[in-house]
Amino acid sequence: MSEPQSVTETKTESEPTTRTDATGAIDIDHLTKIYDPKGEGVVAVDDMDLHIEAEEFVALLGPSGCGKSTVMNCLAGYLEPTEGDVLVDGDQVTGPDPKRGVVFQENRLFPWKTVQENVEFGPQMRDNIEDGRAQSILGEMGLEGFEDAYPSGLSGGMQQRAELARLLANDPDIMLMDEPFSALDALTKEIMQKKLIEVWERDNRTVVFITHDVEEAILLADRVVVMTARPGQVKDVIDVDLDRPRDPEIVTTERFTELRERALSVIREEAQRALEQEESV
Amino acid sequence: MSTGTIDRLQRQFENGTVLPVRRVRQLLSIVGFFVLWSLLVRFEVLGFGLFVGPEQALETLLSALGGAPMTEGGATIYAHAAFSTARVVVAVALAMVIAIPLGLLIGTSRSWEDALFPGLELFRPVPPIAWVPISLLLLPSFRSGVVFVVFIGAFFPILVNTIQGVETVDHEYVRAAESLGAESRQIFRHVIAPATMPSIITGVSIGVGLAWITVVAAEMVAGGVGVGYIIFQAYRLLQTDVVAVGMIAIGILGYVSAALVHRTGHRLNRWQEID
Repeated sequence: MSEPQSVTETKTESEPTTRTDATGAIDIDHLTKIYDPKGEGVVAVDDMDLHIEAEEFVALLGPSGCGKSTVMNCLAGYLEPTEGDVLVDGDQVTGPDPKRGVVFQENRLFPWKTVQENVEFGPQMRDNIEDGRAQSILGEMGLEGFEDAYPSGLSGGMQQRAELARLLANDPDIMLMDEPFSALDALTKEIMQKKLIEVWERDNRTVVFITHDVEEAILLADRVVVMTARPGQVKDVIDVDLDRPRDPEIVTTERFTELRERALSVIREEAQRALEQEESV
Repeated sequence: MSTGTIDRLQRQFENGTVLPVRRVRQLLSIVGFFVLWSLLVRFEVLGFGLFVGPEQALETLLSALGGAPMTEGGATIYAHAAFSTARVVVAVALAMVIAIPLGLLIGTSRSWEDALFPGLELFRPVPPIAWVPISLLLLPSFRSGVVFVVFIGAFFPILVNTIQGVETVDHEYVRAAESLGAESRQIFRHVIAPATMPSIITGVSIGVGLAWITVVAAEMVAGGVGVGYIIFQAYRLLQTDVVAVGMIAIGILGYVSAALVHRTGHRLNRWQEID
């Protein structure tokens, strides 16, 4: 695999431009994850390398079962790498940390807490609840008036906004998002994408965004990392050189189409390979 | 009746718009019960000739509710009911105080599970009633013996449901809490405990039901006082009207306590309602 290395090199060149006080840089260094190492080990991720700049928005794109979620779980600290390291700002990831907030595909709002209690959960854990902060974040997410509702009383889109609000209230350096919008309808999805970009641009956070939706990846990210079929590795890294802010109409531009075709061709190749893999088993 | 009319009626029935029809049907079921009882006694089906009919039972019930002693020179229905209720309340409270923390401990810790659960599992299949002789022998008084048997009846459903509740907590909630900065003690308090609450309530309501069954059986053997005692005592004296009154009293007490548990559970788990 020569591509990942070349990526790392290009990133080294750009490093001097990074602000020194920026936090949230991620280094994935020879990451390998094998499930059930004693039995017939399934290699989910194989010797993956990736550097993500502080405050960068990176999308991880790949066919299903390519180990995207495994990478995410290693970044979150839920899983320990079988080999290799995950470093954040130079420190090894050893477990979950509030600096690395996670948004799950199906929302993980605590159903027994009201929306406001959910949003205040992180601050509460550190005895650091500021009056009115939850309300202002909820207001920003368009959830004013729902403070005392339970998550079960919200629509899917509202639940996802509440989960984003809960994450923001915790002020993480890094936002890890595992297909956060894939269960939403098209219109809600578009609104959520816009909200996400808004917060990201304002708050200087690093975002790692997992998706299988090519257009979503290109629309949102600075770089799109395309992964191979299992075992997961970095297949291609696409620099998205589209100006921000990006309107949804940008999908009709020539450059967007080019980028999409490039990503799609890699994915098609990988999907085909995955299929052949399955057939040969 | 044309199919159209049937369809319409069915739709109304499903929508609940034909309430009167349902109410009438429900009322019929109750009336039917008393008619059946009356007929069984009148025609002396099986041993029913020895049993009291509904009219006389009702008469005895009214005089009992008026404060007449249940047996000659004995206590009133209220006193017996109060004793049985007190036994159930004390036993269930004890069972909750012990079984819930124990269940949470066993559910969260593999090593505690290994240390405690197999031993408890040995006793679980033993019906609470089978504990009557040993508890009467081992405990200082018959009264405490009865409470202990009822405690056994309530203990296992609460324990087992609590353990199961903890073990089925979705681990993703724990992960979410960890990523929000919660430590293990906070996770227990804010995630494990509330997520287990519905199972605990289920356990308690099964436990209360079993407690009533057990208290009656234990009082029959060794009550001295209580509704179970009065039912059996009246049977010995062939006062079948008092037997019927005792059965009605137990029915009412069981129903009220189940409703109370249900309501409390509802209040504690308000978040489960989807509106």
